[in-house]
Amino acid sequence: MASHGLVYDGCNFFRQRLVLSTLSGKRVKIKNVRSREEDPGLRDFEASFIRLLDKVTNGSRIEINQTGTVLFYQPGLLYGGSVEHDCSTQRSIGYYLEALLMLAPFMKTSLKATLRGVTNDSTDPTVDLLKTTALPLMKKFGIDGEGIDLKVVKRGMAPGGGGEVVFTCPVRRTIRPVQLTDPGKIKRIRGVAYSVRVSPQMANRIVDSARAVLNQFLPDIYIYTDHMKGANSGKSPGFGLTLVAETLNGSFFSAEMSSTPQGQGDPVLPEDLGRNCAKLLLEEVHRGGCVDSSNQSLALLLMTLGQQDVSKVLLGPLSPYTIEFLRHIRDFFQIMFKIEVQKPLEDERKGGDKVLMTCVGVGYSNLNKTLK
Amino acid sequence: CSEEDSDEEEEDDEAAVKEEIDSEEEEEEEGEEEDAGALRWKQDLQQKASAAFLRQQESAPNLRKLVYGSAAGAGDSDEEEGEELGGLFRVSRPQKSKRFTANSVDCSRFAADSAHNWDLEEMMNSIRDCFVTGKWEEGQDAA
Repeated sequence: MASHGLVYDGCNFFRQRLVLSTLSGKRVKIKNVRSREEDPGLRDFEASFIRLLDKVTNGSRIEINQTGTVLFYQPGLLYGGSVEHDCSTQRSIGYYLEALLMLAPFMKTSLKATLRGVTNDSTDPTVDLLKTTALPLMKKFGIDGEGIDLKVVKRGMAPGGGGEVVFTCPVRRTIRPVQLTDPGKIKRIRGVAYSVRVSPQMANRIVDSARAVLNQFLPDIYIYTDHMKGANSGKSPGFGLTLVAETLNGSFFSAEMSSTPQGQGDPVLPEDLGRNCAKLLLEEVHRGGCVDSSNQSLALLLMTLGQQDVSKVLLGPLSPYTIEFLRHIRDFFQIMFKIEVQKPLEDERKGGDKVLMTCVGVGYSNLNKTLK
Repeated sequence: CSEEDSDEEEEDDEAAVKEEIDSEEEEEEEGEEEDAGALRWKQDLQQKASAAFLRQQESAPNLRKLVYGSAAGAGDSDEEEGEELGGLFRVSRPQKSKRFTANSVDCSRFAADSAHNWDLEEMMNSIRDCFVTGKWEEGQDAA
């Protein structure tokens, strides 16, 4: 199967495979996509993802068979520039943004992506979460400056959507290796309680219940309330909370929850949502490390693509998604990480086991970038 | 009255010594002579060391093997399934184990460990030192 590059089965880890394929330039073939299900083949959100990938690259070749169960992808050059995309409302913008975050630093020209769709749902990391955790993480790898920004213009809840975000990111020739081994202590907790097309009081109720839990640990808590109105409030009602804990060394832990989409499942009380979300944040603190669980794979990718030097990052327990990502990195870049478990000391009250990830970067340099 | 006090003190002392011994060697049986127990901890040192070593080996799994080792097995296809009906039709059932993971939802979220109950004081105490309000290590300062 050498002519087809790498071959995978099934639609799980779809984005990882296409993103790594684009960065490494290796062709990829994904077969048996839901081939045994009653509704076989790629779904709308995956097709939409492929279209987005096509927009940011130049010269990609994509072939899909008639039933949509086999996909062949030959990556082109990452072009970037100004891109607009209507994301499928089956998945939130976070689904698309997670991939764009990985690709954006390696484009030819800096990316300005306007994405429309669902900004907040309970399946994927929301736009607010990525803004407060992924962007600071990228800054540590040297992807910083004025250009990097993620702005929520309109908020759109599931299932209707109607939200809009603008993501801009500068390009880099090389990525700086990092040594993130000590997260430091948490100095403050921030958050956003948002509500659209419901009473603005909902956000206040969320804030009160979340504070009640978190104030047992820290006095420095501030949760903004964000109530968007009119044209900026999307098509469906809903509310939710994103919490972020910042440490002294600039690591971020996050947790979030949003209300169940209109017409699906049991309604949630804002008080319960606030309390449960605060507990999720405690869980995230218990996991610990220097990178929170939803950004593990982004950190590992940037370590892999760093200059030929040693990078070290302390993580909490590896998520199943991250474990698969590590295997994919080995497939595409032939990099294997050194993985060491760090057990907490007897009298330390710092949560569970940590994992120290070490690797030497492949010395990836962005050939797409134009010299000025 | 004074006699009783002294008696109690003696008992306390004895108990304290026993506790010390107990903590030093955990499998020590109770109600032994103290002088005999004093040097007991030196016995079976090698055995204990090897036991402790094995225990640690088990508790710290080789993550590298877990991550990179098992991937080879995932490639094997278990396509073989088959009751044929009347020699013509094949029963197609969605397979539980492998197919399920291969086609499940592509999502980076890491679900929380349901075993942790954050209402318990004990659980909360396990992360106290992650915050600036917790205890600081030697040589570090809040400033």
